[in-house]
Formats: sequence, C-alpha cells, structure tokens
Amino acid sequence: MQPGRIVGLIGPNGAGKTTALRAVLGLTTYDGELRVLGREPFAERALLMQETSFIADVAVLPSWLRVQQAIDFVAGVHPRFRRERAAALLAKTEIGTRRRIGELSKGMRTMVHLALTMAIDARLLVLDEPTLGLDILARRGFYDALVNDYMDETRTIVITTHQVEEIENLLTDVLFIDKGRIVLDCSVEDIGTRYAAVEVRDDRIEAARQERPFYERRALGKTVLYFDGADGEKLEGLGEVGVPSVSDLFVAKLSAERSA
Amino acid sequence: MNDFIWLVRREFWENKAIWVLPVCIGGLMLVASLFGKVEVAMLHASAQQSDLAGVLFFAVLGAVFWVAMSIYSFWYLLDCLYADRKDRSVLFFKSMPLTDSATVFSKLFVGVVAIPLVYLCVADIAALLVAFVISVRARLAFGNVFWRPELWLQVQVLWLYVIATGVIWYLPVVGWLLLVSAWAKRAVILQALLPPLAVMLAELLFLGTRVSCLVLRDRILGGGYAAFHHPLNWSLATGEMTPGVWQAPDPVGFFTSADVWIGVAIGVAFIAGAVQLRKRRTDT
Repeated sequence: MQPGRIVGLIGPNGAGKTTALRAVLGLTTYDGELRVLGREPFAERALLMQETSFIADVAVLPSWLRVQQAIDFVAGVHPRFRRERAAALLAKTEIGTRRRIGELSKGMRTMVHLALTMAIDARLLVLDEPTLGLDILARRGFYDALVNDYMDETRTIVITTHQVEEIENLLTDVLFIDKGRIVLDCSVEDIGTRYAAVEVRDDRIEAARQERPFYERRALGKTVLYFDGADGEKLEGLGEVGVPSVSDLFVAKLSAERSA
Repeated sequence: MNDFIWLVRREFWENKAIWVLPVCIGGLMLVASLFGKVEVAMLHASAQQSDLAGVLFFAVLGAVFWVAMSIYSFWYLLDCLYADRKDRSVLFFKSMPLTDSATVFSKLFVGVVAIPLVYLCVADIAALLVAFVISVRARLAFGNVFWRPELWLQVQVLWLYVIATGVIWYLPVVGWLLLVSAWAKRAVILQALLPPLAVMLAELLFLGTRVSCLVLRDRILGGGYAAFHHPLNWSLATGEMTPGVWQAPDPVGFFTSADVWIGVAIGVAFIAGAVQLRKRRTDT
C-alpha cells in the first residue's frame, strides 16, 4: 500500500476484516510473514504504534477517563502526539476538557477519539468500523474531518466497513474480502477502465450474455449485466454503459464468487 | 521510565479507591476515637509496658489497614487486566506505543508497591491523629504512651519490612491473580478460586492426601511466620517483649528460606505468563 491512499477493506460480516486488521496491528498472532512499515506487528507492536494509529470501533475510550486526562496521557506516552493540535480540534467541538468520557454522547466520544488520533503524526491510520452506531450527522462529520484535516500524501488510511455507500466517495483503493479470501484488489481509477455495468433491454439479453458478464441482476424491470475487461465498443451496442459504483461492484463480485 | 510513570498515573485515575478506601477507614477510626469510649488504664505503667502498649497500638491499627489492603489488592490485581478487555478500552491503550510488559509491570507495581505505600501513609497519619485524640481525651501527657518518635520510627521500619517480605512471600499469589486477570473472559473470581480448589479436591479424592491443601494454607497464612523470629513473647501484663521490636524481624532466615525462593520462581513464571496472555488477548 502506497502513501497518500485511502484503502477500503470491504467485506460482509464475518469475512475476516477485523481479524486481518488485528494481525496488521499486532493484536493477534498470525501464520506466515507479515511486515507493516518494515516491522513485525506482533513482536514489535509498541514500536509500530509510534507510526500507526488505529480506532477500532467507536467508543473504546474508557468511561472513567476525563478528556483532559486522555490528552495528558497520550501526550505523555506518544512521541508523535501534538497537544496543540488535539486542543485545537477539540475546541471546535463543544466538549469540555473536564468531562468524563462516560458522560459524553457516542458522537462526542468519537470526536474526542478522533481528535486524539488526528493529533498523532502517524504514517498509517487504521479504522475498523469507525462510525458504527453513530447518527448520520456524526458520521459525515467524522469522514469530513478525516479527509479535510488529516489526510495528506504522506499517510495511508485503511478503513473497514460493511456500509460501503458511506465511504465510496473518499476511497482511492478497494479490497474486497469474503470468507477470509481476497476477492478484488484494485484502485478506484482502475474500476472505471476495467469494469462496466450495462443496462440491457430485454431483447438484447441473449446477445449481451455472449460477451460473458460475470454477474447479472434484475431490478425494477431492468437487467444490469456486469463485465470485467470487456470490449467497450461491443458493450455500447447492447444498452446503456456505465461504471459500477463500489457498492454495486461489491455485490456483483461477491454474489458471483459465491455462486461459482 | 516516563511511560511507566504515566501508566501508574493512569491506574490512580481509574482506581480512586486506592486512596479513598484507606482515607475512609482512617476517618472512621478518627471518628471512633473522638466519640467512642476511651479508657486507658496505664497511668502507672512501667516503661516497658508503655513501650509495648505503643507498639501494639500501632500494630492493631496497622493490622486493620493491612486486612483492608489485602482484600483491595486481591480485587485490584484480579481486575486490572480484565476490566479494560471487558469495556474494550484495551483497544485504545493498545493503540499507544506501550509494550505489554510495561503495562503488566505498571499494574504489578501498583498492586504490590503503590497500594501498600498509600495504605502505610494513611495508616501513619491516622495513627498519629488517633493517638493525639486519645492522649487528650484520657488526659495523658503527650510523651507518655503514644507520642514517642523513636517508637514511631521503629514501627515504620517494621511496617516497611512487613510490606517488603509480604510482597515477596505473596508473589505466587499475586502472579496467579494477574494470570487469571489476563486470561479470564468472565467470572474472574471464580476462575481464580476454582482451579486451586479443584486441585485440592482431586488430591483428596484420588490420592487421599492433603499436600496441596497444606502448601496453600502455609502460603496464605505463613508470611509472618517466615519473616519473623518466633515465638514472640510479648505480654502487656508484665511488659515482657522478647524479642524486641528491632530483634523480631528475621531477614536472614526469610531470605535464605527455600520456600521463599520457590514462591518467587512460581510468581515470576505466572507474571511472565500474564504478559504473554496480555499480548494475545484483546477481548472477553
């Protein structure tokens, strides 16, 4: 994974997303060889965490902790934490630093955690279902802050979610996994050149099937066929050609994979 | 070292009871000494008798704190590697560049060093205040029984000795509690108590012997026996005190005892196990 990328690790519940990330973060043992930023995650977790941040779910800050204590603690133990930045981010919210995490709403807890994490000058940020249980305003605020205030060309962000729609606009790369296996690993630009979704009229379906779509879906009286690496000009004659959205492609790839 | 200080500070943030509980106990003692019935029948005591009375006063008061501290430390050690897995905040702490051994050692340090020292400080202050109140209420001259700096100093050394030997003696118990705390997914207390009970029961049923039972009993009750000369012939009636306060501790005997070092080895193994489990477990 290159710096400057935002990678979506996308899979259904139980696909192995969290397990994969736990291995990357050094929270669990694994078979085989794994290097993250040149380090072995499990053996060198403490060192890895100097350059890697993660938010695993929302609301894992302990309820007894005060906001000020959280800032003091991270400032005390993390060499790449910038206190002024965390304070500036928190000042934008209405969260008082004397408050305990337990007194805050779920959205506020997430903002505190995000402020702490964004104040760490990390090369890799891992987010595991970061907006689970948040309302739409908080979710939007979370991702806006991430993209506008945090992301730059030196960092890599990995996000897992099973709500693909929510993040598809900010991703640069997607990684689909199902039952522990990688189904697709591709940049968002490449989706446009490689994949096509064609809305086919009923009388052209048989002709379209000759071009070997990998997945076919009927909805609201329309049939959409999905092609991988097909000839664009041939498809033009079959119906309306478009680029599938990440979520549509995800459904198409996984359904095809499962029925195969 | 800096990380370690922050980890210890974090324990004090989370566990306010570390100092609230002893302060409450000291407060209750003070209230009892202020409003309770005071009878000091020692106005004509000999010097030895008043010395011994002073030592016993500190000892009894300290013993109350010791018992409370043992119960609290037991709970603390059993909870410290479990609570953050239960509320999932372990995921936040593991996102910090802190090693798991530093985390476990910070909790060990709080359990066996910081908590006893907090109790000692509070017990000292309580002892001085209670002694002052009793002296005033019983119309004793301050210098008579309790206000004796050299006696106070002796008792301090004695308590520090008790704490140091206690920590070493109970290391296998401490290690076991940390191990269970890092291991258990639920019902920590049951998981801490059931395995030793099962071993004792199995031995009794299948072998008909009680070796493990006796070993466990000696470990739990034998700390003072191993650390002090015995028997102690201390009598308030006669004022006899042999061996004296300075002579009662038996550090040579304690530190050359095989029991002590076998216990240390087992305790260290348990603690190493707790560190390994801490590296692997992030949920309950």
